[in-house]
Amino acid sequence: MHRWFLVLGLFHTCGLVAQNTFTVSGYVKDAATGETLIGANVYAKETLKGTATNTFGYFALNLSPGPQTVVMSFVGYEDDERVIDLKKDLVITFEARTKAIVAKEFEVLGKKAANTESTQMGVMDIDVQKLSTLPALLGEVDILKTIQFLPGVASNGEGNSGFYVRGGGPDQNLILLDNATVYNASHLFGFFSVFNADAVKNIELIKGGMPALYGGRASSVLDITMKDGNNKGLHGQGGIGLISSRFTLEGPLVKDKGSFILSARRTYIDVLTKPFLNPEGAFAGSGYYFYDVNAKANYRISDKDRFFLSGYFGRDVFTLTGSEPGSPDFRIPWGNATVSARWNHVFGPKLFLNTTAIFSDYKFSFKGGQDDFKFGLSSGIKDYGLKVDFSQYPHVRHELKYGLQYTYHIYTPSTVDVESGDTEFAIDTPSKLNAHEGALYFQDDYSVTDQLRVNLGVRLSYFAHVGTFREYVLDGNGNSVGTKEYAPGKKIKDYAGLEPRISARYTVGPNSSVKASFNRNLQYVHLASFSSVGLPTDVWIPSGTNVKPQVGLQYAVGYFRDLFDRKYEASIEVYYKDMLNQIEYAEGTQPQDGGNTNYDAFLVFGKGWSYGAEFFLKRRLGKFTGWVGYTWSKTMRKFPDVNAGNEFPSRWDRRHDLSVVGSYDLNTRWTFGATFVYSTGQATTLPVQRYWIEGRVVSQFSERNGFRMAPYHRMDLAATLKNKPTKQVTDKTTGETTTVERKYRSSWTFAVYNAYNRANPYFYFFTTEGTAGGGDLRPVAKQVSLFSILPSVTWNFHF
Amino acid sequence: MKRLLPLFAIALLAGCEKEITVDLPDTPEQLVVEGTIEPGLPPFVILTRTQSYFEPLDLTSIANSFVRNAIVTVDNGNGPVQLDQVCSGSDLSPEEIALAAELTGLDPTLLAAVQVCIYTTTNTAVFGEVGRTYSLRVEAEDKVLTSVTTIPNPVPLDSVWFKLALQRPNDDSLGYAWGRLSDPDTMGNHYRWMARRISHRANGSVEDPTFISPLGNTFEDKFVNGLTFDFSFIRGRQFYSDQPEDNNEETGFFKLGDTIAVKFVSLGYNEHEFYTSYDENVGSSGDLFGTPVNAKSNIDGGLGIWAGWGVYPDTIICQ
Repeated sequence: MHRWFLVLGLFHTCGLVAQNTFTVSGYVKDAATGETLIGANVYAKETLKGTATNTFGYFALNLSPGPQTVVMSFVGYEDDERVIDLKKDLVITFEARTKAIVAKEFEVLGKKAANTESTQMGVMDIDVQKLSTLPALLGEVDILKTIQFLPGVASNGEGNSGFYVRGGGPDQNLILLDNATVYNASHLFGFFSVFNADAVKNIELIKGGMPALYGGRASSVLDITMKDGNNKGLHGQGGIGLISSRFTLEGPLVKDKGSFILSARRTYIDVLTKPFLNPEGAFAGSGYYFYDVNAKANYRISDKDRFFLSGYFGRDVFTLTGSEPGSPDFRIPWGNATVSARWNHVFGPKLFLNTTAIFSDYKFSFKGGQDDFKFGLSSGIKDYGLKVDFSQYPHVRHELKYGLQYTYHIYTPSTVDVESGDTEFAIDTPSKLNAHEGALYFQDDYSVTDQLRVNLGVRLSYFAHVGTFREYVLDGNGNSVGTKEYAPGKKIKDYAGLEPRISARYTVGPNSSVKASFNRNLQYVHLASFSSVGLPTDVWIPSGTNVKPQVGLQYAVGYFRDLFDRKYEASIEVYYKDMLNQIEYAEGTQPQDGGNTNYDAFLVFGKGWSYGAEFFLKRRLGKFTGWVGYTWSKTMRKFPDVNAGNEFPSRWDRRHDLSVVGSYDLNTRWTFGATFVYSTGQATTLPVQRYWIEGRVVSQFSERNGFRMAPYHRMDLAATLKNKPTKQVTDKTTGETTTVERKYRSSWTFAVYNAYNRANPYFYFFTTEGTAGGGDLRPVAKQVSLFSILPSVTWNFHF
Repeated sequence: MKRLLPLFAIALLAGCEKEITVDLPDTPEQLVVEGTIEPGLPPFVILTRTQSYFEPLDLTSIANSFVRNAIVTVDNGNGPVQLDQVCSGSDLSPEEIALAAELTGLDPTLLAAVQVCIYTTTNTAVFGEVGRTYSLRVEAEDKVLTSVTTIPNPVPLDSVWFKLALQRPNDDSLGYAWGRLSDPDTMGNHYRWMARRISHRANGSVEDPTFISPLGNTFEDKFVNGLTFDFSFIRGRQFYSDQPEDNNEETGFFKLGDTIAVKFVSLGYNEHEFYTSYDENVGSSGDLFGTPVNAKSNIDGGLGIWAGWGVYPDTIICQ
């Protein structure tokens, strides 16, 4: 371990020699709400030396002494200029005012710094506030579905909120909510994501060139920051939609010192469908709902210390209660809970510390039965973690981040119990799987020259599967012939590895730059999936004796350019990615197969790779904003035990993927939004031949994913009407009429999903039509489509 | 608005279906074995070939799938015995057709309508015996197929009975077949339930001409080793049956008055692997909730199954 500190030390010494500079540091906040602003630019007007605020709205900038102008600039806000004469370190708090003109800008990329300035590539930001003006399925604003519109991000079929970044699997996305890992980000079998946009401040997606700060996943990071809550006054917002309602309340705990936000959402599909279910019928007692609650509080203890407590709790519940004896009944609840407690401390203008304590829990369970037969299935994962992250601004050319992260994981593999009458089946409760995961990281964003800036990072990660654990000794047919017990804390298998992360930017003109990156990522958890649509039965499993850590290797180069006075941003990125030690269930494995054997007994191992080119053009400013993204890519998998060892396209392999997103502010009251997507049909496996056994038709299937379904394309439209922002008030005594701003504001969003009613394929199946007796029996192929044209209306309000 | 809301909820859950055309590639046809051997009976081998998925399902097409003039031998260790080709057709009497259906599991309508050939023998030297291993060799159309199977010890059911299901209002006649199994104390028993209604219809024909194994009724003792327990079985249905009870609310149920012949079959490991994957293959449609699975054949050089069945027979009178 001490060798590692040596490496850290080496990095530390470069260029840290004190120079004749002073530090300007502080926070950038929204003047109206007191929310800190993430990614706001702060720079010296004369030298253009600048930086951007971090996740907590903090910045630190090293400048030469003397008179100069420090500017805070952030899209959607008025620039704030401060003339200073720098003679010592200085603290400035910027209270940014929203621009008076029309609405807030639709901001997607480059908030961190100008598109062409940052060393990071493959980074995308989404402005949450504009999401509600875009069309959404059944009016449910969905962060993850908006992410699917970005180049390099594929969706998983109709209505699904799962996302796949540059050919990586769904488990390779690190989804963080206020620094806590969210393991299953979907509700209703993937149709809706768990993030309630009302409670979210900032969304950042990192597709490639992942900084060393992040780890534990092979493909991408989706970093979501919750709002802190308004610390100026009590405010609320909410909405009533077709299938759910939302309400958020925020306000000061102590004015200007602390605030809270509480946000809740619940669907009412169950309430809506209940009257239509025959009370005598087989489905009389069935119901489905989900809800989630986000809560956060923060308190500024001193100018140097700030404390945050945030939590998320969400559950899906699906029930079926048969009304007659003998009919089946079951109850399936599942969901996430996360808690993170964070403490920010500013040691001095040049050193910022964030410490986070994390709890995350995902649970799935199924309890059901019919007559005397009872069946139960459960699985889950629980994390306890601690992160200590330093940001240091030692020199005008260096911005350092380093820290350590630790998580204790407790995995519950598929646990089955079965009873038939009084007989309880002899299925052991499998051991929970315990594991330590730790990492040390260091990164330096270093401006080598005015043209060349590099981000050098390295991460050292460690993972150990430890007892208590019961290992089954299996015979050739997979039957248990004995067990081996491991004591609590006893190491069963461990892994460690170095993860270099390098990216560089070279400026080639006033408005253009070339960037390149390489990263190696180790991922110690795997999601073993039974279905292709991300069902809650998917099980998280750790690396261990037979399951090796996933390795992601990504190489990317890109050209970035700002056009027309930075009104437009454009980029082209090309990437190649290798994914090693991928897992799948062996063909034919069922969720209930897991009893009396090791958690890895049904897994097969292989590799994947992906390469592609992404084109992106965005209009950032003006009444009309939006973007066009196009991706050409190829994503393959190869498993010795799947598809006879031949390579096959991954299910989320899309040769072409085009997205167009636009938003137009007509005036202060009307905003229009439209989206269009086109993508190559999903790869699927279909039968090519058939034969007869015992008088039934047996299908002989093609190569894995050997067919393409029809291409997917869809257009959605939305129109939002706000009430008048002001009203006339007549003073009774003077008779004078004045215009005042309304305190209560509301809006209607009318949307149409699938506007030209395209019957997009959801899946294909083969069946027969006709009857043998009628002599017209024939095999047919059928396509199932989910959503035809679907209008929706949502009413939103805030005060 | 109030009336509109539920409509959206229903639209969300409904979806829609349409027929499409899929261009299938030309894939080489393979030979398929459906062969069984049980104690006291000769081996029966049905040899067919795979067909393109969209070939019509009419009688001519089905007849064309049967492979004739193959050399099929079975060896129980005492040297190979060649099986005879026996063909059906319009020259057979209804009684002969019924017997052929019962023995081979082939549909009597098919046997009567077209000439289908199977391979079997009257040579008692290769009749099934419990515990014995049988090698199969098939030579046809320039292909050689081989396989080996063993007839396991049959495991008897303690008892079998009929019990009303009471699943619908005012229903007092429909129910399931039940069995009580005491699984032997050694791990590695594999079972398959088959049943056949041998009571007769008003027109004098037997209700089920062949034994039927309902899908999903092949199981192993991994979780029930050494236990005694009860389990229920639904009534299986013949493929594309147009009998009224297979197309109304009686589907899947036995009925008061039925007489059921039960074959409780013990299988080896590979045979169990085949029948479970076969059940899954036949029962699934599309790959939305899982990867499609080909039936796991134990035939080298072809597809299908060569299975020794350790049969425990029993009878239930539904009363």
